[in-house]
Amino acid sequence: MVAKYVMLADTTRCINCKACEVACRAEWDTPLGYSRDWVKEVEYVNAKGLPEVQLFPGRCQHCDDPPCVEVCPSGASWKREDGIVLVDHAICSGCELCVPACPYEARWLNPVTNTISKCTFCQPRIDKGLQPACVDTCVGRALIFGDANDPNSEVSQLLKAKEWQKLVTDEVNIGPNHYYYTAGKAIPDTVMPKLNERHLSGKLMENIVNPLGTLGIGGMMAVFLGAGIKKLIDRRQDVSNKEGSHEQH
Amino acid sequence: MSSIKPTIKVRTKDVIAIHWFNAFFWLTLVLTGFGIISGDFVRLAPAFWPTFLQNVLGGNANLVLLHGIGGMVWAGVIGVYALLNAKRVVLPFLKNVLVLTPKAAIADVSSMVITLAHLFGLLKHKSVPPQGRYNGAQRLLGTMIIACSLAIAVTGMYLFLSPMLLDFAASAGVLGGVFRWALVIHLAAVLLVLLGLVAHIYFAVVEEPESLETMKSGEAEVAFIKHHNPLWYAELEREGKV
Ligand code: SF4
Ligand code: SF4
Repeated sequence: MVAKYVMLADTTRCINCKACEVACRAEWDTPLGYSRDWVKEVEYVNAKGLPEVQLFPGRCQHCDDPPCVEVCPSGASWKREDGIVLVDHAICSGCELCVPACPYEARWLNPVTNTISKCTFCQPRIDKGLQPACVDTCVGRALIFGDANDPNSEVSQLLKAKEWQKLVTDEVNIGPNHYYYTAGKAIPDTVMPKLNERHLSGKLMENIVNPLGTLGIGGMMAVFLGAGIKKLIDRRQDVSNKEGSHEQH
Repeated sequence: MSSIKPTIKVRTKDVIAIHWFNAFFWLTLVLTGFGIISGDFVRLAPAFWPTFLQNVLGGNANLVLLHGIGGMVWAGVIGVYALLNAKRVVLPFLKNVLVLTPKAAIADVSSMVITLAHLFGLLKHKSVPPQGRYNGAQRLLGTMIIACSLAIAVTGMYLFLSPMLLDFAASAGVLGGVFRWALVIHLAAVLLVLLGLVAHIYFAVVEEPESLETMKSGEAEVAFIKHHNPLWYAELEREGKV
């Protein structure tokens, strides 16, 4: 069976050391100020009136139904059979249509390559049988990565053993493959995915230009197919009329 | 018994060649263009087409390259041809087809509507007003194709070359924004031309195969011109050509 790669983040084990971010930046040589992954800190006052911090390591969620792939005009964004969402840098134009399409803010335009950067689960490492750089370096073992289709994998065991949550809302539910363990605590709103205002040009293309064009061309074809058929019928009628008048003579 | 119908030469070999060159490149560029756009939200062709074409060509990068180079050859050859033959071919053609005034546009639209209605046996009592060399629909299509082709060539060049040559990230979103709008214009212009081409091909193949014949041999039957394009016939008469 093909693998289905997932990432688990045990938020109770994260100590906000940011080793994952550092490892990711080193692995991918990302420009200063940019990172493919992050740790979100959410501070709040708990039921006992005490301040509390929750930590959410995050990155591209390698969604089952990724809108970033759906909007990409050049096919540069694509999803591998094993679920990893990748960007083909040879054909990424840097048009950024995919940036607002991602509700997890996982994509950004790399100023050095002029193409889109995002977490790839360290696909070259995975293909060599290694772990992603962030997982390898996580000091608290808060990040666990593996094949959810393999019943013997650590992630499969953990997924069965604990209550995991995904970052989904009523509005955004696109099948993320990143799971979070919070020991039963609710995930704060600030971490949840948000629908972004899409580029006007993208919306225009998707909702007006393409459907109108397709309808128009389909309609034209139907009209002229109809005209052609009518012409054939008329011609047949003409021939049989002529034959009829011939017989009368 | 075979009777030879009198014909006159109405198209030179180079015009015929450029017409079929344009047709061939249009077909290739539309097929490859529809293969490049694979995202569900922006795709125009059914999903199997981009997959099939990208597999055949060994990836979308090759397809983009082929489409881009093909587009530049198309625009380049037609551009150079137009420059070299501006006086002899292009200006007379533009004079014949460009619909520049609202009055002319309204007249052309009405003659187009009547022609279309006649196909379905409607508006029989209304006859199509006498036509010059190009009828209303051809003039509208011609104007649209010229405007759209210019838009397609300019936006296509930007779509192909800008990611290689310009620094999108440093422009604070401006160049990327231009890229996205160029894509919208490129697509819309292609769709508009395709819309017109459906009618163009139908008339050439089914309704008036004589005009298709003219696009092959360059010769047109005098009787056909007299019947279909009386204003043009009168012009040819004045010039002593018929
Ligand atoms: S998290 Fe964003 S970038 Fe990653 S697959 Fe989902 S939509 Fe695409
Ligand atoms: S910027 Fe995003 S949408 Fe545009 S080509 Fe690159 S991956 Fe595709």
